[in-house]
Amino acid sequence: MKEVLKVENVTKTFRLSAKQQKLKKTDSRILTAVDGLSFSANKGEIFGLLGPNGAGKTTTLRMLATIIKPDSGDAVVDGASIVKQPAEVRGKIGFLTSEVKLEDFFTPDYLFNFFSDLHGVPDDVREKRKSELFERFGIDKFAQVKVANLSTGMKQKVSLVVSLAHDPDIIIFDEPTNGLDVITAKVVTDFLLELRRNGKTVIISTHIFSLIEKVCDRVGIIIDGKMTVCGSLSELTQSKPLEDVFFDIYRERKGDEI
Amino acid sequence: MKLGAFTVFKKEIARFFGDKRLLFTSVIMPGLLIYLIYSVMGNSLNSMMSDQTSSFKAAAVDIPQSVASQLEKQGFEIENIELSEVDRAKEQIEDGDLSLCVVFPDGFENVMSEYAGGSKTDSAPNVKIYFDSADINSSHAYSVTVAMLDELEKSVSNVFDINNASQDDGYDVASEEDAAGAMLSMILPMLITVLLYSSCVALAPESIAGEKERGTLAALLITPVPRSQIILGKVLALSVMALLGGLSSFLGTFMSLPSLMQGMGDELGSISANVYGPVDYVCLIVLILTTVLLLITVISIISTLAKSVKEAGTMVLPLMLVVMLVSFMTMYQTETRTEFYWYLIPIYNTIESMAKIFSFSLDPVCIAVTAAANIVYSALGIFILTKLFNNEKVMFNS
Repeated sequence: MKEVLKVENVTKTFRLSAKQQKLKKTDSRILTAVDGLSFSANKGEIFGLLGPNGAGKTTTLRMLATIIKPDSGDAVVDGASIVKQPAEVRGKIGFLTSEVKLEDFFTPDYLFNFFSDLHGVPDDVREKRKSELFERFGIDKFAQVKVANLSTGMKQKVSLVVSLAHDPDIIIFDEPTNGLDVITAKVVTDFLLELRRNGKTVIISTHIFSLIEKVCDRVGIIIDGKMTVCGSLSELTQSKPLEDVFFDIYRERKGDEI
Repeated sequence: MKLGAFTVFKKEIARFFGDKRLLFTSVIMPGLLIYLIYSVMGNSLNSMMSDQTSSFKAAAVDIPQSVASQLEKQGFEIENIELSEVDRAKEQIEDGDLSLCVVFPDGFENVMSEYAGGSKTDSAPNVKIYFDSADINSSHAYSVTVAMLDELEKSVSNVFDINNASQDDGYDVASEEDAAGAMLSMILPMLITVLLYSSCVALAPESIAGEKERGTLAALLITPVPRSQIILGKVLALSVMALLGGLSSFLGTFMSLPSLMQGMGDELGSISANVYGPVDYVCLIVLILTTVLLLITVISIISTLAKSVKEAGTMVLPLMLVVMLVSFMTMYQTETRTEFYWYLIPIYNTIESMAKIFSFSLDPVCIAVTAAANIVYSALGIFILTKLFNNEKVMFNS
């Protein structure tokens, strides 16, 4: 299978303010969020980054989306380096995270057109794609309603659809089902599987074991910014369920601190 | 591929014109409010001036007939009282029942003539006027009385005149246009600059710091459009919006100016925009455009550094003080600067150049230096903004 994402020895540190030091109960001014992380993903697979809060999952995805730069190391996204060619990387990926929001004032229709234009999608392609995605997610009925007036679930669907306006081959979702009701969560989960069927590569971060078990082909478990285990889901869960595998590794790393 | 800057520009404009409340508060309301406030101010001042001829009630001791008749012509109703009644009159003044009380020395006219003729050389006769400075009517009555007595004193001891009104030989060589220009060049550059600044500050923090705060700017930053284009689109759109706001304020000011000037008792009530030619207006537009561009860029830099709209509002305060200070400083400047390096100083250059236009001494070199300086500073600002937009610590607070 063709490797479309290769992350190599990526490290990211943040400088802590005195207030943050106090909150984190540490004397160190530097927090290493991601520490020499490496992994890869192939075309047409769903790769899951599993870890507790503060493990470095979101920081890793933010680096892949070129929102922040790694201190050292690099990642190559479909042939483009996140360090040297960030603009190219942005054109190749779709990124969905709760950190990125849509302007409440506009309608889903306007936002889809706007982001398509920014990605240079031709008008005829855009209209066809918009019609398909809006229908797939039931947005067509709300296409002309301002985002401010949509339900939380519908807003999440619009965000998802807008992030896919340019039909990217690599899609990065940070906690894709977080805060969603069961119906919307199911729609999103089914869509992830559909993307895989269409040959797209999906990278997700989550702490929900069931989501990983349901959709992922390969998994990387991150604890304290380090990749502890990385392999196919079937390999990792050969002898015990994923949850037990995770907690065995967690105890090994952190002792009995649960 | 469509130009990213143009797409961002269109989005910002669509947001602005689509939001009726924003459109009203930033374009229609400033001009309307300025027009209403200045017109009301002008009318109030005007009616105050005409009120000055309204009736005053005065008590007088030993008032000469000639003085009494002069005062009566000025709207005074005079009651002759004895010296012993002065204390009662003072109480009446305090209660507002009397405008003032004037006490003349006994035989005032004779004493005055003797003093003026030099036959009497001890201290000059003293006219006492009791009034209440806290009362508007009493103050006016006092001013009118003093002015009238000053005239009387001059007429008695007149040795020479200066610009005798009865022999007006066109002493002031300035034309009405020049006089209007001098007044406008003092007021309008300051007003226009402050109004443009107000427009810019009402829009830029919301568009930059607001989007950053709401997380909608991040959605733009994860597209392949270069950051410089995103900034260019935003800055140009904000400049257009600020110009509309500034134009509205300018129109409000200009339309209310005649009534304000009339209210100030000036002959400038008949000021017309026709006194300036097309070249003046073109130069004015160039100055306004480049100044707005510069102001928007600077406020955008400050807004980018802020974490929220509220913080941006606080951070732009020192800039506002600088703009106000420079504006007021130039208002009272006695000499015009001709050396080109003065026109490299932002804001100051705009006000100076505008003052030259309004005073009919348009200097193309100064205008060109000002416009070029503003454009260069704006380009430098956009370069700084691009650096800031590429800084993850600034943009994502990481």
